[in-house]
Amino acid sequence: MTETIQLGGAKETGFFPRLRTIIGRRTEGRGVILLLVILAVLAFTQPLVFTALPVTIGRIALIGIVALGLTAVILMGELDLSVASTLAASGVVVAIIPDLRIAIPAALLMGIVVGIINAFFIAIVGIASFIASLGMLFALSGLAFVLSNEVPVSIANQDAGLAFGQPLFGPVTPRILLFFLVFIAIQLFVTKVKAGREFFAVGGNRQAAYDSGIPVKRRIFTGFIISGFVSALAGVIYTLELTVATPTAGSTVLLASFAAAIIGGNYLKGGRGSIIGTLIGASSLGVLQVALFLSGVQVPVQNTLIGAILLIAVITDPSSLRAISARVRATLPDRTKVEAQ
Amino acid sequence: MAAVVEAKNITKAFGGVKAVDDVSVSVEAGEILAVVGENGAGKSTLMRILAGIETQDSGQVIVSGEVIPKSDAKASIDAGISLVHQELSLVPEMTVAENILLGSAPTTVGITRTRQMKQIAQAALEEIGVSVDLDERISKLSVALRQFVEIARAVARKPKVLILDEPTASLTPAETDYLLSMLQRLADRGMSIVYISHRIPEVFRLCDTVTILRDGKQISVLDVAKTTPQQVIDQMVGRELKKDLESKRSSSPGHVVLKAVGIRAEGVNDISLEVRAGEIIGLGGLVGAGRTELVRAIIGADPRKLGKVTLTVNGKTKVISSFESAVKAGVGYVPEERRTDGLALTMTVAENITLPNRKELSASGFQLARKIRTFADDLSKRVGLRPPEIDREAGQYSGGNQQKIVIAKWLGRRPALIVLDEPTRGVDVGAKAEIHRLVKELADNGTAVLVVSSDLPELLELADTIHVVRDGTITGTLSQEEADEKRVMSLAAGEQVENA
Amino acid sequence: MDKKTTLTQQMAVAQEPEKAIVERKTGALSWVAQNGIFIFLAVLILVASFAVNGFASLENLTSILNRAAPIGIVAVGMTYVVISGNYLDLSVVAQVATAGVIFLAVGNEYGLFVAALAAFAASLVYGIVNGVAVGYFKANAVIVTLATTYIGLGLLRFFSGGSIFFGNPDGPMEQFGQAKLGPIPASTFVLLAITIVLSILLTRTNFGFLVKSFGVNEKATRLAGVNTDRVIVGAFLVTAFAATLAGFVFAAYSNTAVSTMSQGFDFRALAAIIIGGTSVFGGRGSVLRTLLGVMFVSVLNNILVLVGISFGYQQLALGIIILLAVTLDVLSRKLGEK
Repeated sequence: MTETIQLGGAKETGFFPRLRTIIGRRTEGRGVILLLVILAVLAFTQPLVFTALPVTIGRIALIGIVALGLTAVILMGELDLSVASTLAASGVVVAIIPDLRIAIPAALLMGIVVGIINAFFIAIVGIASFIASLGMLFALSGLAFVLSNEVPVSIANQDAGLAFGQPLFGPVTPRILLFFLVFIAIQLFVTKVKAGREFFAVGGNRQAAYDSGIPVKRRIFTGFIISGFVSALAGVIYTLELTVATPTAGSTVLLASFAAAIIGGNYLKGGRGSIIGTLIGASSLGVLQVALFLSGVQVPVQNTLIGAILLIAVITDPSSLRAISARVRATLPDRTKVEAQ
Repeated sequence: MAAVVEAKNITKAFGGVKAVDDVSVSVEAGEILAVVGENGAGKSTLMRILAGIETQDSGQVIVSGEVIPKSDAKASIDAGISLVHQELSLVPEMTVAENILLGSAPTTVGITRTRQMKQIAQAALEEIGVSVDLDERISKLSVALRQFVEIARAVARKPKVLILDEPTASLTPAETDYLLSMLQRLADRGMSIVYISHRIPEVFRLCDTVTILRDGKQISVLDVAKTTPQQVIDQMVGRELKKDLESKRSSSPGHVVLKAVGIRAEGVNDISLEVRAGEIIGLGGLVGAGRTELVRAIIGADPRKLGKVTLTVNGKTKVISSFESAVKAGVGYVPEERRTDGLALTMTVAENITLPNRKELSASGFQLARKIRTFADDLSKRVGLRPPEIDREAGQYSGGNQQKIVIAKWLGRRPALIVLDEPTRGVDVGAKAEIHRLVKELADNGTAVLVVSSDLPELLELADTIHVVRDGTITGTLSQEEADEKRVMSLAAGEQVENA
Repeated sequence: MDKKTTLTQQMAVAQEPEKAIVERKTGALSWVAQNGIFIFLAVLILVASFAVNGFASLENLTSILNRAAPIGIVAVGMTYVVISGNYLDLSVVAQVATAGVIFLAVGNEYGLFVAALAAFAASLVYGIVNGVAVGYFKANAVIVTLATTYIGLGLLRFFSGGSIFFGNPDGPMEQFGQAKLGPIPASTFVLLAITIVLSILLTRTNFGFLVKSFGVNEKATRLAGVNTDRVIVGAFLVTAFAATLAGFVFAAYSNTAVSTMSQGFDFRALAAIIIGGTSVFGGRGSVLRTLLGVMFVSVLNNILVLVGISFGYQQLALGIIILLAVTLDVLSRKLGEK
């Protein structure tokens, strides 16, 4: 070995320092804390939640699935507001085509096309993602109304729909199964697959990603296609379960999915976060919703609570806390010695 | 021997100004080539073109006889050109290993082979002799360590030629020392190295050949063994460096205007200083020494952990507790980054000048259009804005003129203290002289002036007293008579330089 | 001027003239992005007058004005948030409905004055919560206002029980809602008045100047000694006050109010702002242009209704128009840089 230089930052040895480093590297802290707090409170006030496990998992799947796709986009520092109406439009597509064997692929294909159009405006034209996807949100909700003639549409094959709502085994309904498949697929994609891992680079330092030869635009396309596909899948699930598609479906999806992703520690400016975090965020919200429902709390109040949680989550984001603490610190110190506590 | 990498007749213009003008360089295997020049000479642009990040207007990059396609970062990397950037280009939230293999991680059917990735990263780190936890996030590492990770990334790509752009800017002397010997080792093994620096001693210690750029043009290519530092500097500057003794001011400082005691902030470790009315205090030191952080903490533009700052104007002493209170008390601030922090580029000259002076130019919240016009017109003429058209967008002006607009903004407030951070970076020679004269005028009229500058001649010309900052503390204070480039540099670098 | 200044000036003249200025080409595209609204609106009205049956009737024009007023008042207010570079305020949906319900529910019981106080108190809360989260905490405006939308709507539905409120027959609300000067409804005058006030505020005062300046360059504005966080709170407050006024006008027109009354106001207001030529990147825009944008959106909607095109297509059309208008803005900027 030739000469070396020690600059600090070497690997910690010993179990506890190691453990501390590992925990320090995770991003899911807030989600875990919120989940634990909710579970602890419920253990005393609403223990029923723990017995209603199938319901709770179903709820988590409902909230979480769109959030998972959204997370792929957020990791790159982009937003996809169009998820809500992608869900509604794909749900309508499933209902208006009589043959489910054609309807489901058509709906999923629509999700992919939506992703491609979003990414086109964002990566090629250069429009900020929130505004491009906002236009898309609006246009697609219009499309959902057009396709459905502004009324709820029942699916032709009611039996298939009813069967879809039944558990496959144990408490696992197709919805829950699909949710976990999506979770595993995206989780593996962003942690194991090179293209997925590069999402973090695209979000964390886009210039560096370009300079290293990462095809940034192609990654943005991939991200929005994932998000479009997953929300279309959610639309398919909604419609099949309810056996009817409404053009206004998914009105609170935007709120719940952003809340789940942000609570889970996904940094809105990109580069920091995890799919597991989103799962934890969705779990907190799902458990909370079931508990509120069991306690007889009305839906508007539930929405208020989730809105409040989202607001708190977004202003306690590390960069927001830095901003506010910098502001406080910039005004306070007018002393030269550390004062006694 | 044949050249490994050759750049032929590269030309690149930004908005009509030629940043690189018909430059050709070539490196052989194992050769270390220095590219030197003043700020804005076109070094970085040339290197970005070599790395395929910037698109040249004309000219070719040839590696081992093959022409590399324009502006294709991936193709350049694959051909064997690896660039270590001046601005760190790591992804802060990714690990050391991931950053070293950014964009080039080994895969099987698209799936990252984590173990192999770590092995490659480890090998690259060992090759440059640096030990660091591969799973640590970049955001947790020191600036010096990040610099070495960046070099490891370049080395991991097994480049034919390694380009380093000012790699020692943020390193301590010991780290610099290590870096230079490490590069020598790499070159001994046959890697070609292009080394960009404006630190001449490093060039003479390390390099075989030196290419000198000035205003985008290639001035000469010299064999380092057959030249002297003085020759290189003369060619870089293109003029003789002399102290301009005629422009010396006879300063007679008045009362203490700024008093900063025990300032601690990010990168600043317990600094106190005073500036008197009519006095110009210079802050010298290397890039990253903590000067910008210091002045920003003093005036409240960035948070400070500890410290007390007061400003005394007309016998009244006010505590500076935030940037707003600083401006209110009579501080003007010309920031380092003129285009992002100093000006709103798409607003007009008049609007930019109005910004800090809006209270004086309005009555009960309503802007006084006519008063604004005469005010802005006056100031833009006073600072020598050319042409003094106040309805033009600030972004349309050249760098020197833009800086005059920033100064004009604050001149209007007749500030008690003005803080200037690198006031003439990227400014042409003519505008530079005008800005210097403006600063001296301000001091002559009783304003306290605090100047941060990495440009030694500038510091020596302007400052009545120079504080040299290193690692967040003041390592020495030199009066105008004592100060020369050598003394300032030795205090800045922390090396004992014998007095000749 | 003193002697030294003259010296500087002499120096300046004596030196070689440098390339001091880069002339900026203002291409056709950027002209269209900023001023296209005049042409679009004129063409739309011309075509409609000739080709669309029933468009050019007095009754129809009055109805366009009636519908344009609430959305217009929201849009001119929200222009402030857009110009400040904070994209938009989604929570105007909740704000308009809250104000509408308060004006009728509280107004019926305690009179209009108390209702107005209550409504403006609510808008104060909205403006401050949104503004503090976006300004002081630097949180993303889209997400913050998405959250406050649901907080607000949830609270409104909880307290109102989701029911529809009717104003007292011939009460002050109804009287205002039906008042006209000739064929022009009173609400149009409210829209014009607030447009003029907000236009003066934006172009003639320090506050408006700072909103714009923040939109162009946040850092440079802060480094001129401006408390930029407060400017952002101000921009959200302007939007909130306007939304409350819109709630009043809207509730008065129909003499009913319900928590769902203002669905889609956020998008339609944004569409009007963008089509009017205000840049979603902040810094460039005007309240008067937004007014034109509002007229465009309202006339377009009216035409689509008259020719029997369904609600879905209207929505689809607006979404596409937003995308096209922003594309135009982006392309004109890109060309302007070159």
